[in-house]
Amino acid sequence: MTVLPDATPSPEGRRGRISRALNDARIRSVLIQVLTLLAVFAAAIWIVNNTVANLNARNMSAGFDFLDVSAGFGIGFTLIPYQEGDSYLRVFAVGIMNTLLVAVVAIVLATIFGVFVGLARLSNNWIIGAVARSYVEVIRNTPLLLQIIAWYFGVFNLLPRPRDSIELANGFVLNNRGFYLPAPVAEAGFSLFAAVVLGAIVFAIGLYVWAQRRLERTGQAFPAILTGVAIVVFVPLLAYVVLGRPVSWDMPVLQGFNFTGGLSVPPSFCALIVALSAYTSCFIAEIIRSGIQSVSKGQLEAAGALNLPSNWTLRRVVMPQAMRVIIPPLISQYLNVTKNSSLAIAIGFPDLVSVWMNTSLNQSGRAIPIVAMTMAFYCAVSLSVSAVMNVYNKRVQLQER
Amino acid sequence: MKKTLFTCGILAAFAATPAVAQETLQTVRDRGILNCQVGLPTPGFYQLADDGMWSGMDVDMCRAVSAAIFGDPDQVEYQSVTSAVRFTSLANAESDMLSRTTTWTAVRDTQLGLDFTAINFYDGQGFMVPADTGITSALELDGATICVLTGTTTELNLADYFRANGMSFTPVTNENVNVLVETYLGGGCDAYTNDKSGLAARRSAFPDPSAHVFLPETVSKEPLGPVVRQGDDAWANLVRWTIYGLMNAEELGVTSENVQEMTGSADPNIARLLGSEGNIGEELGVSPTFMVDAIAAVGNYGEIYERHVGADTAIGIPREGTLNALWTEGGLIYAPPFR
Amino acid sequence: MAQQTQVFVPQPDRPPPPDTSGPLAWIRRNLFRDIPNTLMTFVGAYIIFTVVTAIVNWALIDAVWQAETRRECLDAVGRAGACWPGVAAWFENLIYGLYPKDQVWRINLGFLALVVWMVPLWLPKVASKIAIGLSAVMLYPFLASYFFLGGEKGIIWTALIAAGLAGLIWVWATALTEMRTGKPVGTWLVARLGQADTDEILQRRIKQGAALALFAMAFLMVTQISFEEVRTRFWGGLFLTLVISGIGITFSLPAGILLALGRRSKMPVISTLCTLFIELFRSVPLITILFMFNTMLPLFMPAGTEVNQLVRAIVAVCLFAAAYMAEVIRGGLQAIPSGQYEAAKSLGMNYWQTTSQVVLPQALKIMIPTIVGNFIGLFKDTTLVSIIGLFDLMNMARAVGEDTDWLGLFIEPFFVVTLIYFVFCFAMSSYSINLEKKLAAGRDRT
Repeated sequence: MTVLPDATPSPEGRRGRISRALNDARIRSVLIQVLTLLAVFAAAIWIVNNTVANLNARNMSAGFDFLDVSAGFGIGFTLIPYQEGDSYLRVFAVGIMNTLLVAVVAIVLATIFGVFVGLARLSNNWIIGAVARSYVEVIRNTPLLLQIIAWYFGVFNLLPRPRDSIELANGFVLNNRGFYLPAPVAEAGFSLFAAVVLGAIVFAIGLYVWAQRRLERTGQAFPAILTGVAIVVFVPLLAYVVLGRPVSWDMPVLQGFNFTGGLSVPPSFCALIVALSAYTSCFIAEIIRSGIQSVSKGQLEAAGALNLPSNWTLRRVVMPQAMRVIIPPLISQYLNVTKNSSLAIAIGFPDLVSVWMNTSLNQSGRAIPIVAMTMAFYCAVSLSVSAVMNVYNKRVQLQER
Repeated sequence: MKKTLFTCGILAAFAATPAVAQETLQTVRDRGILNCQVGLPTPGFYQLADDGMWSGMDVDMCRAVSAAIFGDPDQVEYQSVTSAVRFTSLANAESDMLSRTTTWTAVRDTQLGLDFTAINFYDGQGFMVPADTGITSALELDGATICVLTGTTTELNLADYFRANGMSFTPVTNENVNVLVETYLGGGCDAYTNDKSGLAARRSAFPDPSAHVFLPETVSKEPLGPVVRQGDDAWANLVRWTIYGLMNAEELGVTSENVQEMTGSADPNIARLLGSEGNIGEELGVSPTFMVDAIAAVGNYGEIYERHVGADTAIGIPREGTLNALWTEGGLIYAPPFR
Repeated sequence: MAQQTQVFVPQPDRPPPPDTSGPLAWIRRNLFRDIPNTLMTFVGAYIIFTVVTAIVNWALIDAVWQAETRRECLDAVGRAGACWPGVAAWFENLIYGLYPKDQVWRINLGFLALVVWMVPLWLPKVASKIAIGLSAVMLYPFLASYFFLGGEKGIIWTALIAAGLAGLIWVWATALTEMRTGKPVGTWLVARLGQADTDEILQRRIKQGAALALFAMAFLMVTQISFEEVRTRFWGGLFLTLVISGIGITFSLPAGILLALGRRSKMPVISTLCTLFIELFRSVPLITILFMFNTMLPLFMPAGTEVNQLVRAIVAVCLFAAAYMAEVIRGGLQAIPSGQYEAAKSLGMNYWQTTSQVVLPQALKIMIPTIVGNFIGLFKDTTLVSIIGLFDLMNMARAVGEDTDWLGLFIEPFFVVTLIYFVFCFAMSSYSINLEKKLAAGRDRT
């Protein structure tokens, strides 16, 4: 049998071309991407199909039609008006507001406390250093869930009953039903007062921006922060007196079982806030410490060689560089606070997870829309913060070649 | 004719579409184990001892069904899940039945794909307050802070009761009874509300039980009973009639001790119950003597009650004169006849 | 004139000033330096005193140690002191869950096997530490799975278990030969057979043959033993917590590396998908992920598929941990200067070679403290599986207070659980600090 010379491309030749194509990085990358995309789409379709089939078989509905049904349960703490007869949608809003409140308060306290703990750890007083160290070790190494329970039962539930409340100052009352404080009530001329306050804040911010620009342009500094604070404090104070006290205070008073009137937060809120900020402050303290330590010694020496005053060294040399290291993990800690606030469920503070994903899910039985809405909320918060973060990160990142 | 047959065939095929759900009994048989969902441990109804054994009134319902199917009450695996996921767990076919003090309500029955089988306990919601407050009626609780278990009908009834009476309240909620009880004992709330069966048990574990009193009002109806998935009528029937069988047994005087002798009884009612007459067992898909096995394993309804929640137990709810007495004694335990 | 050489004789050291050494001086320097410092000392001492006395009083002095029921405790001391007998009665359950009492030795043996497996990592002169560590991660789970689960094992599972057993034997064989002779066990075997000078192919054949023989032996051994099945429903307590976090930790590292590489990939589809996954899982609390997997995963599967509840929780924990780990590793990758990539490229290395031999080793090394921190976080986060009803440490502690004998016993079990968590996390974090110091010493030497 004779073998004909290759007239048509031999199998090897064809294979060679295919293998060449496979070895071409660009073609391979396109191929991989197309295959991945197909796989993901196939998986998505498969999941959706299964879900629809399962839902039909189980007589379960996944729609959002339950949202305007009356929820019918009470909520212990709400920022927006809520009654037992209100709809599930309103419950969702209540949960969101409560979660955001916890997050904001805990973030502010954790930051202040974190700086404080960080300094205490570096203190040259042995006892303070030891207290701070053991505090950080104990708090960092136990689950937050347990800490929230410990604060609730170890502190806030042991406070005196309403009749023997601790009165911290006139109108500020602490007992085992919560923390009570006077509520501002708008009187005549309040809108004008509010406008003045807003104006003062806007002006102070404008001043700061102007001062920064001038500093970059001419190198001349202007004490914008101090001036700004002064404006924000004194202008409203002046307006308050001039406008004839446009705000009055609604004092909490003991009536029947409990204090009524004023603003109040339940003990579960206090426990949650204290636990969250204590827990987060440990991490923030570490972040700030490592951020400041990350600034290389040469920078300090250079600043010394230029004979910069020490507060300038801190403000203009150390902090800008330390902030680059501090901000990203700090923001992720802030996001963690938001997520960790979901542990409120353990002590029954009505945050989103507790009131929506637990109580509402339980009462209505609509697992899918409820879990989806909860996740959507957290995603929205997280992603918007991440987006802002990425912009900031790009701005401060060191430019490499 | 042919056409009719054809149409019938199509209809039958359609009717049989949820066929997956139709064969729970067969699935259980093949698995050799009944997956019975209970809640997180709760005294009297589904309690967990330190040796890992489950017991209680609702647990005995599972044991009775297991005995009816396998002739052995211990072919049960107890799935203890939180109340938040109880119905999804049942719907997802992880549990074959749910026996965990679940209140029968219209919404649950009609909208969540559930089928309530029978009522094995009639409960009602009450309040407990410290005795030194001098409160004698729930109507004096206007403005009070009240501890309530979340995710339960209790939570809804509480809101309803205060709304109906034009009163206000602040709820302190949790899904863990012990957290609520600690809060209440620490004075974190003025009153603690729960099903009355639960109140008594909790009070017995207080440092000073006599310092707390129950208010006379019962603010809700709480018919509790086992639940199965909708769409498998044969399975629902088996669970339902096992429970009714236990109630009929008490009515007829059949107990775990005399059940073997009773199989020879001349009373046709007893004969039908114990399978020496009639075909109830076969039609349910189990052995004709399934009730003999069930009663021998867990006793009749009265025995179950006295063993787990009766006056001599830690829960200590006397049965006479309550809704849970037999209908012949003025209660609501009234099982349809076994015929 | 004879000049006498003067020899310098140093004066003896003068004693330090009387108030700069000794305990008194230490106290003065560290506690009472100035007025604010003194004030802080008193505040600090007061805090320590109140916290410590309150805890000691409750947990030790006023506590009840002998009782049959909680009623006895309450009658004795009320709520002023702890009631430990309840915790003692449940202690075994807190550790092992509802695992059958007569089978508990299997759990102990399983964890003992892990310890035995890891011991060579700390022995001196053992060279193949990476191989030993990898084998522990890759093979130990199969061995442990059978210890814990038991029951019917098919042929594939038997083979996997045998691989695990063979791995354990290999680890110790190689550790012993390396400590004795400095050679891994394969090379040692070849030398013992007098084939050290023969060609490589023959040597490799010998090693392969030995490995096969070892595997066959292990396979035979595995077929001989059989444990009764313990379904995962009975798993609980500390044991379950360790299993969940252990699997989560093991899974999160490789998955996190892949995700991080994917996110930095130049292929837009891959990087978008990885970014989406990471951001989605990082932006929602673990509770919601657990809830979703618990309630919705069965809906995503074809009708009739049964997915064990524990498996669902583990899948959720794994994906969550992987997303977090990916961001940690991405941070490490970003810290590698681009010169490293360029150098690797100029040596003709392709993507995977560059990644696995140049970039990753450096990135992982600088991120070790953060990675360990992440592990600790994951371990603590497993408390959340209690919320979907798995009987981990938290839920087991809760069950104590629902036992009719110990009804309402709530604070004491939680106290014990907190202690258990603290011991584990503190050990891990101390180890990580230690590691960090060691690495820093290596990095900072100049």
